Amino acid sequence: MPQSPSAKEMAGPQSRIRNFSIIAHIDHGKSTLADRFIHLCGGLSDREMQAQVLDNNPIERERGITIKAQAVRLAYTAHDGQVYQLNIIDTPGHVDFSYEVSRSLAACEGALLVVDASQGVEAQSVANCYTAIEYDLEVLPVLNKIDLPNAEPERVAAEIEDIIGIEAKDALKISAKTGEGVPDVLERLVERLPSPKGDAAAPLQALIIDSWYDDYLGVVSLVRVVNGRIAKGMKVRVWSTQADHEVSLLRVHAPKPEPRPSLECGEVGIMVAGIKQVDGAPVGDTLTDAARPCADRLPGFKRVAPRVFAGLFPVSADDFEDLREALAKLRLNDAALQYEPENSTALGFGFRVGFLGMLHMEIVQERLEREYGLNLITTAPAVVYEVAMRNGETRRIDNPAELPDPGEYDELREPIILCRLLMPHTCVGAVMKLCVDARGVQKNMVYHGSQVQMEFELPMAEVVMNFFDRLKSVSRGYASFEYEFLRFQPAPLVRLDVLVNGERVDALATIVHRDVAFSRGRDLTERMQSVIPRQMFDVAIQAAIGAKIIARTTVKALRKNVLAKCYGGDVSRKRKLLEKQKAGKKRMKQVGAVEIPQEAFLAVLQTDPKS
Amino acid sequence: MLRTSLAVNLPLALYVHFPWCVRKCPYCDFNSHVAAGGIPEDAYVEALLRDLDFELREAPETRPLVSIFLGGGTPSLFSDRAVGTLLEAVAKRLAFAPGIEITLEANPGTVDAGHFRGYRAAGVNRLSVGVQSFDDAQLKRLGRIHDRRAAQVAVDVARAAGFDNLNLDLMFALPQQTLGAACDDLRAAIACAPEHLSWYQLTIEPGTIFGARPPKLPDNEAAWAIQQAGQAVLAEAGFAQYEVSAYARAGQRCQHNLNYWTFGDYLAIGAGAHAKRSQPGEHALQVTRRARRRSPQAYLDLAGSKAALDSVRRVGADELPFEYTMNALRLNDGFQLVDFERGTGLAAAALDAPLAQARRLGLIIEAADNVRPSAFGLAHLNDLLELFLP
Repeated sequence: MPQSPSAKEMAGPQSRIRNFSIIAHIDHGKSTLADRFIHLCGGLSDREMQAQVLDNNPIERERGITIKAQAVRLAYTAHDGQVYQLNIIDTPGHVDFSYEVSRSLAACEGALLVVDASQGVEAQSVANCYTAIEYDLEVLPVLNKIDLPNAEPERVAAEIEDIIGIEAKDALKISAKTGEGVPDVLERLVERLPSPKGDAAAPLQALIIDSWYDDYLGVVSLVRVVNGRIAKGMKVRVWSTQADHEVSLLRVHAPKPEPRPSLECGEVGIMVAGIKQVDGAPVGDTLTDAARPCADRLPGFKRVAPRVFAGLFPVSADDFEDLREALAKLRLNDAALQYEPENSTALGFGFRVGFLGMLHMEIVQERLEREYGLNLITTAPAVVYEVAMRNGETRRIDNPAELPDPGEYDELREPIILCRLLMPHTCVGAVMKLCVDARGVQKNMVYHGSQVQMEFELPMAEVVMNFFDRLKSVSRGYASFEYEFLRFQPAPLVRLDVLVNGERVDALATIVHRDVAFSRGRDLTERMQSVIPRQMFDVAIQAAIGAKIIARTTVKALRKNVLAKCYGGDVSRKRKLLEKQKAGKKRMKQVGAVEIPQEAFLAVLQTDPKS
Repeated sequence: MLRTSLAVNLPLALYVHFPWCVRKCPYCDFNSHVAAGGIPEDAYVEALLRDLDFELREAPETRPLVSIFLGGGTPSLFSDRAVGTLLEAVAKRLAFAPGIEITLEANPGTVDAGHFRGYRAAGVNRLSVGVQSFDDAQLKRLGRIHDRRAAQVAVDVARAAGFDNLNLDLMFALPQQTLGAACDDLRAAIACAPEHLSWYQLTIEPGTIFGARPPKLPDNEAAWAIQQAGQAVLAEAGFAQYEVSAYARAGQRCQHNLNYWTFGDYLAIGAGAHAKRSQPGEHALQVTRRARRRSPQAYLDLAGSKAALDSVRRVGADELPFEYTMNALRLNDGFQLVDFERGTGLAAAALDAPLAQARRLGLIIEAADNVRPSAFGLAHLNDLLELFLP
């Protein structure tokens, strides 16, 4: 196959490869900058330049966030006249996806830290920078949005030095929006970032950065060749399964997909090897040459345990197998996703699914519904509790419905996280109040110019309950946070049950602090009352702790629900009305004779008093 | 022909639509158009007859008509001469069953004693007067062109013209209406001594002025209270409910509407008119619903040809249980399973599953071969009918 001139130029030696990630907070301009790079390197014509090439998952585009790693290869002609191969490996920018960040960073030699010069440093970027430094990456700070009238590049540069502790005096000042200063960034990447170190003559050793399932090709993997090379037709061995597969396709995105005969040492690209099992090429695994295997696997990257659990149930019981298959496919490139079958008396067969955080949960739920066409009921997310049983055993429970009787255990322990918050000094009071209301204990507070860094120990359950949204609202969007798990700690917790027409609905049970149980119970029953539609019968909603009813509301029955007029005329409209009514009920779950909508299962989550 | 014998088992009616009104009411979603610059009366009657001929050419009818309903719009905007011409021409094309009921809808704002006498002479034997309310403030709000007084005059004129079968249309749960006001309305209607009352709850329909700017209506509880109180008033005055919104003195039920509710066949001519006819099928009756174009001008231009049709829908065998019950369960007496079999050509077993659900929910009462809605089922008819959707 004739190679395009650009591809020929790019097939340079290893010393002219630069692999890097862009670390940036949401809205700090990462995608716009990546677009500028592509434009400058002539990867796409103006006509082809679709806005924000990197975020190509529809959910990512809509939310303006990046979830999955992507890689784009560009050919950059530097001032020294040489053509360099730049591989941009995208990273997610949200606290829930630190795991994904670490796997992107593991494939790079450097990272660009992009900071909005009008807003300053934000907590998640700090955490991601630390990860990059841990992986020995060269971090180059870039101050973006200098075209904004309120940009303060000097102040923000000082903030980077103060908070993150990296040199930022000569940080490039750019505007990805206008293009100002962007060529200098490319030049500096070439100057400052090291080239990949691997041994091209050694046996193949490649890291699987990401894998996903394609209905036609099977497993498709994004790989980084660390040592040796991969060529089409070669038999590669997946380290964990020890299974051999013949490479049928190699491809790079430049950013248009281009097939390649090989991926050389230090390069990043896409590999298809006819792997049909969804778990055939796990993310973080090592690939080697079946004919000449390497001595050891690559270190991979940090595994993380899911901290938030929720039940996912198909609205229609027939979809259970489809849900199982969809979860298996999602798990392929989302190793943090864990699940096991769950049987709820109210909701039937489904899965208990573990997530990294709330956003991760929302994304998974949305992908299941959109990409796999599943109609799901999600129960309120819960954290993992530790139960010290009377018999000396310690149990972990991730489902409130499974909490043993109070008589069977001595102590119930909840997860505590260390939360690092960054905010302008003007909203310190409001954020502090929010944390204290969430049963937080302040550990530290440091002023960095006008920015303040606070550390709080917080029960994780309180953070799961829309802490993020409230933080944003009390700080008008300026506060950011990241967290890590600390320990399990005893707390006076009780299980709050919900009964609908006298029937306990297991999927609505939550574990709450005893002090707030009454108010939570009252709020919850009121909220349920407002989301459960009126039906043919009265629906009684009760909140209970053990056998004790602590709150009660009733959804009054509709007295009548009938079309007043129906003559010979246009029956199709009457019919459509009834079909709509029926379709509405289909989206609800029948508990006894009561139709309960999805919102009711999430009402448990909201803790704000009703406005 | 032997193959048509099944369809002939169902009675046949005729509906004629008159699409013009003096003014469009804000709640009305029927096919009505403001008659600006007069009505092309003769041309429309000619179009109706061309349409009927086309219909009968497509599928000839030997069944006699059990009823004719001249509805609208406002049919009483048409002269007695035009109505006479129409009925005479229909009689030349179709047999009339003995005791045929011929109803004309009249607006109290368009009453003309001469016309009324003429309608009667032309063979119209039932008049349905769209009163809607006897409360002048409400009438104004409803955009009606008449007042309380005009409604009473209309009744007197009808009686004087020789009509001994009168229906009054009346609405309840009107904007801001109290229970007392609703009952006063009913008593005023009863005082007019009609044979039949259509007493129905105002509903907001999409595509109407009320749909775009909904007025504040009594809530579900208040509407229910009005209905309970009103039904007591009606019962005391000798009006028995036989359908969701229909009340009649003994022997005075509306034959034409009953034909709809018992899933009879009907021809329909006029702009926007909907017909339903059955033919023998393999596993079930082949039921076809045909609708005419809604625009009066398009209808005038195209009547008599296929181009006047707006839609033709063949009702699938799987849809028949719903189509049947959506009509028959509106009746207090419900239906006989044999009537279901006759009306759809399906075995009664097709209803087993939804009937079992309805029974469990207490929505129906079954006795021997009869299925009827319980009082609870009649109040929650939408929930009951939903069970029969395919």
